[in-house]
Amino acid sequence: MRQQVPNIAGVLSIGFFILFPFVYSGADYDYIMHICIIAFYYAILASSWSMLAGYAGQFSFGHMGFMGIGAYTTALFCHYFYLSPEPTNLCTEFNLGGTWLVVVNPIGVTSTTLTQDCLRQALSAWNGTVQVTPMPVWLGIVLGTLMGGLFGLLIGLLVLRLRAAYLALFTLGFSEILKATISAEIQITRGQAGMETPALFEQGVTLFGHTFSKTDKLPPYFVMFFLLLACLGVLAWLARSKFGLFVRALREDQDAAAALGVNTTKYKVLVFVVTTMMAAVAGAVQAHYVGIVTPNNLFLLQMSLVVAMAVIGGVENFVAAAVGAILIQFVLEMLRNSFDIGGITVDMTIWRLVIFGIILMVTLRFSRNGLIAPIIEYFQRGHVGKETVEKRMASENEAEEPAK
Amino acid sequence: MINLVVTNLHKRFGGLHVLKGVSFEINGPELIGLIGPNGAGKTTLTNVLDGAIKPNSGTVYLNGERIDQLQPYQVALAGLGRTFQVTRSFRRMTVLENLYVPALAMGREQNRAEIHDKAMDVLEFLTMDHLRNEFAQALSGGQQKLLELGRLLMLSPDVIILDEPFAGVHPRLMEIIYDYIRRVNNEGKAIIIISHQMDSIFSLSRRLLVLNYGDLIADGPPEEVKNDPAVIEAYLGAEEGEEEEAPA
Repeated sequence: MRQQVPNIAGVLSIGFFILFPFVYSGADYDYIMHICIIAFYYAILASSWSMLAGYAGQFSFGHMGFMGIGAYTTALFCHYFYLSPEPTNLCTEFNLGGTWLVVVNPIGVTSTTLTQDCLRQALSAWNGTVQVTPMPVWLGIVLGTLMGGLFGLLIGLLVLRLRAAYLALFTLGFSEILKATISAEIQITRGQAGMETPALFEQGVTLFGHTFSKTDKLPPYFVMFFLLLACLGVLAWLARSKFGLFVRALREDQDAAAALGVNTTKYKVLVFVVTTMMAAVAGAVQAHYVGIVTPNNLFLLQMSLVVAMAVIGGVENFVAAAVGAILIQFVLEMLRNSFDIGGITVDMTIWRLVIFGIILMVTLRFSRNGLIAPIIEYFQRGHVGKETVEKRMASENEAEEPAK
Repeated sequence: MINLVVTNLHKRFGGLHVLKGVSFEINGPELIGLIGPNGAGKTTLTNVLDGAIKPNSGTVYLNGERIDQLQPYQVALAGLGRTFQVTRSFRRMTVLENLYVPALAMGREQNRAEIHDKAMDVLEFLTMDHLRNEFAQALSGGQQKLLELGRLLMLSPDVIILDEPFAGVHPRLMEIIYDYIRRVNNEGKAIIIISHQMDSIFSLSRRLLVLNYGDLIADGPPEEVKNDPAVIEAYLGAEEGEEEEAPA
């Protein structure tokens, strides 16, 4: 029964988060829902990073880079590609059996002020007689996910021979190069100004008999929540399969695993592809939820936050990492409230990060497997020691009996 | 019929010529001791045989298949398994999980229940069944050596190389390792034991290979090798004409 406690807690938590949007009715409903969505987003990043770093021992610091690839792929796709029933004769376009795939020309940040792109010029010439169709958001998210996996494959192949600090530095370098490239290519990516993205449900959506507008929080809440559940489901399935066993063997001793017949190259690359796809899909969905992507999302500080969330939860347990991310996100938000002590105002917008840092340091010093993972382990493995002693006693008694 | 053919293996690390044309052949379930002073090239030879290091020249054939250019995992699946001089168990995995890894890596048609049953048999033989759910890091050094041997039983290769299996092991566990070696050999596997413990090597082996600075200086029955002047000189540095006692 005790071993089932984490599973029961998991089911109860899922039930809680499904019911929460319908039960909670505080004045800060939208704010709390927003915190939940961001917490789920970080939970996907932390749990997938936990599989990569905690299970497979691949300490990548490029996870936010892959998140950015997902976000920018869908942003670029939705920004530059349209379907039109008529050719614009201004843009690069392809006839797809009567419908034209229009590729808008990049004009950078001046698009809304001085220059109009080719599609806007065509639209003003048509004067409302022709309607163009933007690309579906879901297709952008799928492409973003696949692009994240493709880059994960390439980076996975490049880092095959790298271990520990070298791997961390290489992936950090990749992430920084990506950020610099996005910042530099203002013409295409609009640089630091960022790119606007359509909402997840641009035309609104009807759920449970109720129509939600594109700014309502409930649809993205459930999209991000079920995406988190799907990622955790895939991770759980992988962890229980031989994939999970092999990547843990890889973490423990790559050479010994190879000497026992494990194709270490294959599993090292596979774990990169799977986890980077998760980071990319989280980034893509988040981009459409927030409505803008900027290179700031790829900052090292963001990566450090994901790592800290996973470490505080428990890096060797992806569920603990996800729970850690959700808790930390809420704690960080709760700590935003400044207060007065004897006439002195304590500005918690700054001090909350100090408190967060202290939690991280204390965790690393006193509980290296995080704060949540040991609790799960207590329930799942707490009986092992007793069981070992009992079996040993039983076998010793058995050995003694024939001698009597 | 097991057949390992090593022909003219050379391995250089920069200016250091570690293996100088090593050649030997194993036919059938032989029990071979590989000895030599420190720096003789024993571990390098093992690393070349298991694919961790590629030789500069020479070939290795196992049961007719050339394996000297294969990756270590391919060599393992081809039928050559090894243990390491310094025990390399998967420390933060349970004892059972350690045993599942090679069984699943083989990819043969085995279901989880069969693999579990086989792992339990192996643990019972190694007198470690009570430790099955413990993490490997909780085991003593000797038990970790046994676990490494257990993993090889799960892999079930044709040729097994045991690198220093007796180093730092309690006499009681040593008996289990002796039994292990005899059992595996009786099951038809060829075993190469690398050890500095001459008593063990001489009592177990039916053939000895002696390496000295990369040269294979002797290959034959223990009694013959024991009295080989080249071996005596390699071990004891005896001068020509001097009567020295053989190793062990």
